[in-house]
Amino acid sequence: MTSPSRHWFDEHTGEVQLHLVAPTLAQLFEEAAKALGELMVERLAERTNTSVELVKLSAPDREALLVEWLNELIFRSETEHNVYGEAKVHRLSDTELEAEIRGRTPERLRTAVKAATYHRLKIASQENGYSATLILDV
Amino acid sequence: MAIPELKQVSEVVYELGREFRPDMHVPLRVFADAHLLAQLERDHSLEQLVNVCALPGITRQALGMPDMHEGYGFPVGGVAGTLLPDGVISPGGIGFDINCGVRLLASSLRFPDVEAELPSLVHELSRNIPTGYGRHGRLSLSPDELDRVLNEGCKYIVREKKLGVEEDLERIESLGSLTDADASKVSERAKQRGQDQLGTLGGGNHFMEVQRVDTVFDELAANRLGLAPDQLTVLIHSGSRGLGHQVCTDYVRVMDQALTGYKISIPDRQLACAPFSSRHGRDYFGAMCAAANFAWANRQVLAHRVRETFGRVLGGGANSRLSLVYDVAHNIAKIEQFGSQRLCVHRKGATRALGPSSPDIPAVYRGIGQPVFIPGSMGTASFVLVGTNAARDLSLNSACHGAGRALSRTAAKREVTGHVLRKELESRGIIVRCVSNAELAEEAPIAYKDVERVVDVVTRAGIARKVARLVPRGVLKG
Repeated sequence: MTSPSRHWFDEHTGEVQLHLVAPTLAQLFEEAAKALGELMVERLAERTNTSVELVKLSAPDREALLVEWLNELIFRSETEHNVYGEAKVHRLSDTELEAEIRGRTPERLRTAVKAATYHRLKIASQENGYSATLILDV
Repeated sequence: MAIPELKQVSEVVYELGREFRPDMHVPLRVFADAHLLAQLERDHSLEQLVNVCALPGITRQALGMPDMHEGYGFPVGGVAGTLLPDGVISPGGIGFDINCGVRLLASSLRFPDVEAELPSLVHELSRNIPTGYGRHGRLSLSPDELDRVLNEGCKYIVREKKLGVEEDLERIESLGSLTDADASKVSERAKQRGQDQLGTLGGGNHFMEVQRVDTVFDELAANRLGLAPDQLTVLIHSGSRGLGHQVCTDYVRVMDQALTGYKISIPDRQLACAPFSSRHGRDYFGAMCAAANFAWANRQVLAHRVRETFGRVLGGGANSRLSLVYDVAHNIAKIEQFGSQRLCVHRKGATRALGPSSPDIPAVYRGIGQPVFIPGSMGTASFVLVGTNAARDLSLNSACHGAGRALSRTAAKREVTGHVLRKELESRGIIVRCVSNAELAEEAPIAYKDVERVVDVVTRAGIARKVARLVPRGVLKG
């Protein structure tokens, strides 16, 4: 039996350190979106205004793809004034991603996230799936 | 990293030799006393500064200011100069919030004369200054106007948009306009992100503070800066908003992919870099300068909104005059001459601190030194200092940018609850405007190093000297 996806935020003096664990790489990316939404807005799921958007990305490797993914969600949050806590990954390789994201319009942001960074970034295969650690600039 | 590895070279300067790790090109130096040094042991900032020592072309030493703490790529409070033409420029050495900085305005009013008006003043500031997600009060710009902001910075805002006075310009670092700026090197995505953000404070640790001059340490210098005991001042801390964040995001990606081509090997991918003289290096520098101009323009618009608010609440004319003392960047790369060496000086969470004989400071401050602002945490004092001539050799003309975080946001919230903190600040006569108690707790004084201690190390090191101490009376948290 596989464990469900989960995430948690860890201590970092200046920024926010995010840990992700998921049974598949696609679910790891979906969990990353959920974590970002949770960081940005309290009780995001209660917001009713929603938009559904498609995302297509490419990057040189899967770590860079994870950074690109989060930075794309941050960019859209700021320009569309939505927060994207729900995602369904349709296609994923180490270098390409296609996903559907659901945005909700918050009244205000809890945490303004500037960007995802490469600092100490690592995606690891582990028993029952994948894990990742990365630092978000807030 | 274990602190015993560091060798004490003077009272408040510690060094780690390049033999510590094979990829270090230069030693590192940290400005600290025993207490601040012990705080460094609790996070990864020293390890990050060791990584900086491995940047191609780095010269002299990588420097850690007294407020240094863990960041990503560079530590916050990290300074490094790379030798031009071929030393590298690294977006991670400047950070996502390009030209995050501080601007101090001095009022013609004494605090005791307007104390009764303070609640309505802070209330009106909170209505007129967009914070967090807020966008009201912003300056609406066409694409062409945005390009002019990026290329011309504050000159465009003051001379064309008439938001400010000509005298403001000479009291801004680099006159608020870097001539190497190139709007064509800023992506459409970055412009889209910044399009509706000029004149907004932003979130996180950005803030605006109404203050009282509590102590003057150097009467002559304070007089030249236009500061006197009991005077009312306003401090603005903000940056280049989403536009700057996207510029950094874009060029970290570009440089990460170009590393192999330049045969550059780095210990941390966030330090992705390119030779300054290369196409990638020059493109990033043009975009970074444009984002820096956007940040200076942003603080200019914010200052204009503060002046408008003072005029409305306290009456027009001389009564509400707010003069610009100075505006300094603390996340930026500058090309600076040190003897025969031309360096690209990266300052990440560090302030330029030029001495009294520098030709690059406003004529009004010659013989005194460039103003340096070290804001404390919310509810604690902020300091005005001036740079020294000795800073040139000691710290690449740099000083620290604040108190520096000591606790993570989560740890801060464990230590203090927002509503208790709000009550405590109010009991000390400080009016606080912050929507969320949780966010208030994240920026609690306990989360920061002791600013008095940090300033003490700066002065003992001889890189800047104290002019005045300012205490908060009203805080608008971003």
